[in-house]
Amino acid sequence: MKVFDIIRKIILSVSGISATAVSFSQTEKPLMPSDLKQQTIVTEPVTLRKGFLRVGSMLNYRVADKYFSDDGEKQYYLSNSWGTRTSFNFSLQYGLSDRFEIEFRGEYMDTRQESEKTEYIASTNTSRSVVTKQKGSGIGDTYLRLRYQLLPENRYLVSLTGTLQAAIPTGEKNPTDIYSAERYDLPVGQGNYALSCGFSGRTVLYPYSFTASLNYVWNFEGSKKFSASDASEVTFRMGNVIEASAGVNLHLNDWIVFSNEMLYNRKDKGTINGNTSSLLPESWSLSYEPGLVFQVKRFRLGESVNIPLKGISIPADPLYMMLIQYIF
Amino acid sequence: MWNKNLLPFVMLLVCCSPVCPESASAQETGPRDKYTMLTMPYNKRPLTLYGGQFMASAGYKFAIRSQTFNKEGDKVYLKNAGTGSVFHYYVVNARYGITGFLELGAETSLIRHGMRSQSVTYATTSLTSAERVTVNEFREVKGMGDLLLTATARLPLEYKWFDFSLTGGLYLPTAKNEQDKPSHSVTDISTSNTYTVNYRYNYRYGFGVPVWLTGAGAKFSLGKYSLQAGLVYTTPREEGTGTRWDQTLLTSKTFDYSEKEYKYLLSDSWSGTLSFHYQATGWFDVILNGSYNKTTGGWTEYWGNKYRNPETRILIIEPSFELQITPTLKVCQSAGFPVSGKNCDAPFFLFTTIRFSQFPFLR
Repeated sequence: MKVFDIIRKIILSVSGISATAVSFSQTEKPLMPSDLKQQTIVTEPVTLRKGFLRVGSMLNYRVADKYFSDDGEKQYYLSNSWGTRTSFNFSLQYGLSDRFEIEFRGEYMDTRQESEKTEYIASTNTSRSVVTKQKGSGIGDTYLRLRYQLLPENRYLVSLTGTLQAAIPTGEKNPTDIYSAERYDLPVGQGNYALSCGFSGRTVLYPYSFTASLNYVWNFEGSKKFSASDASEVTFRMGNVIEASAGVNLHLNDWIVFSNEMLYNRKDKGTINGNTSSLLPESWSLSYEPGLVFQVKRFRLGESVNIPLKGISIPADPLYMMLIQYIF
Repeated sequence: MWNKNLLPFVMLLVCCSPVCPESASAQETGPRDKYTMLTMPYNKRPLTLYGGQFMASAGYKFAIRSQTFNKEGDKVYLKNAGTGSVFHYYVVNARYGITGFLELGAETSLIRHGMRSQSVTYATTSLTSAERVTVNEFREVKGMGDLLLTATARLPLEYKWFDFSLTGGLYLPTAKNEQDKPSHSVTDISTSNTYTVNYRYNYRYGFGVPVWLTGAGAKFSLGKYSLQAGLVYTTPREEGTGTRWDQTLLTSKTFDYSEKEYKYLLSDSWSGTLSFHYQATGWFDVILNGSYNKTTGGWTEYWGNKYRNPETRILIIEPSFELQITPTLKVCQSAGFPVSGKNCDAPFFLFTTIRFSQFPFLR
């Protein structure tokens, strides 16, 4: 009987170990109800599940060092000036149904532009320094977005999601606190309403997911001061925008995703008082955006960098992004 | 009788169990278990790679040069004057453990950095006209750095709580220290004497001469905590010859360039690091690193005279982490905050490195 007991224990132990052995290969884990709020950007549904609420914040940071010229050459800004642009996004996403999601996004902007130039006047043998100190801090524009799964991914190999977004110009659109032509507060808002719609597709082949999207943005007419020296607001209309992207996301392990995305953006010429202006040029950019996204229980932390590869009339500096989200 | 019949079945089940090889290898503590070695936490691994281990790293440093330390050691804020700039620095590194106590390594880097000087306008006002010449000056450093070859030996003992290593190496120049021809230009010409001069100097990256490197490292571990210290000394093997360009602005608003040679001797450099590690879990190491660098000696020739290189020093604090993503992949990230210094730039930086590690000749 003693030998039988030992054998029985061995069988039970080995059976238990064998069952866990399956987890050594990289396969998608069976989903438990408690795991639904802990899925990664690869495994989660395209839109939030019904009743789920996600809050998040994203930090964007860019310096002004290089730009793509009108003929597509990457060049440094030659004149001495130091500019940074930081934005803090705050977003609320809510699942109205398993296929329908609403998102509200606001932003706090912090823009700075500083320079100091010296001027020597030969006739009087004197010199003077011209100090430019401009900053813009405050609540920027607000965005409202609806997303609906037209082809839900639980029924189709490739899901298709429709997106409708409205941009509301809640941020200050004009230069304020003007002390001089060099010292004033920069605007933090665009100053016009915009409506965009588009489609995005996704398919998941674990541990990969493949994404693609196409978006069109209509910019409506608005009015604002483009310069601190403008006496009154002028009417303007920014060019409409086409945005396209394609990406591959890869699970490095169960909770870290390596994201890759190529983005294309093309903006038409804009007009001021009905005429085309060099202030609103036609522009386009092609950029690559790698990133790492960490899913720690219900928290999601991410960091990525947008690297402009080609373009005309746009900044050519990398844009750094850090993300934090929590799902309730 | 029943028990005897069951015994072969049990043996068969044990042998056929898919977990058998895994559990067997997991229990091996010797150097043959490559997954154990690849995932060895920082507080349990030696200063060099294991025998047969290969590691390749690729890193990117984004630095914001918004301040500098002057010769008195005071901070000068460059962004207020609009002369701040950014560095893009890329580094690749490969190391191989010949044995558990000897490691060979190779490293090179690439940099792109543009520095603007303060713009100056010279104006002469007369009763009929105002003539203005604005001068912008820009210096770009771009290109591949030198190739560093190293050999590191550590104590021939299994790492338990203390380790010590010695490193020798040589920077091999990948290019001569020759400044590329400047690409100055004159723009915004409105009258014959009102225009903008854009001076643009193009520098290469690298020492231009072979540079010796010697270093020593020590590491102590106590439970989840570790302390690592390192000291590196570099000195040039010989004097170098570089080239500079002089320019003359012609009346046609073009430039005439002339190349001139000069001699130089690089400064000696001392770097000390002290890092405190906390192994939060087996796959996550939190680090607080302090590094101090000082350069002394050396000279540079100007107009036939040798001028001593300014002595520089800088102290940087770097909080960082190392994250094991998969057995073969790690990601490290650090942020650098300059604390004090003298005669040198003080950039804030973010440095991200991805490390791939494998035992290519071990099953």
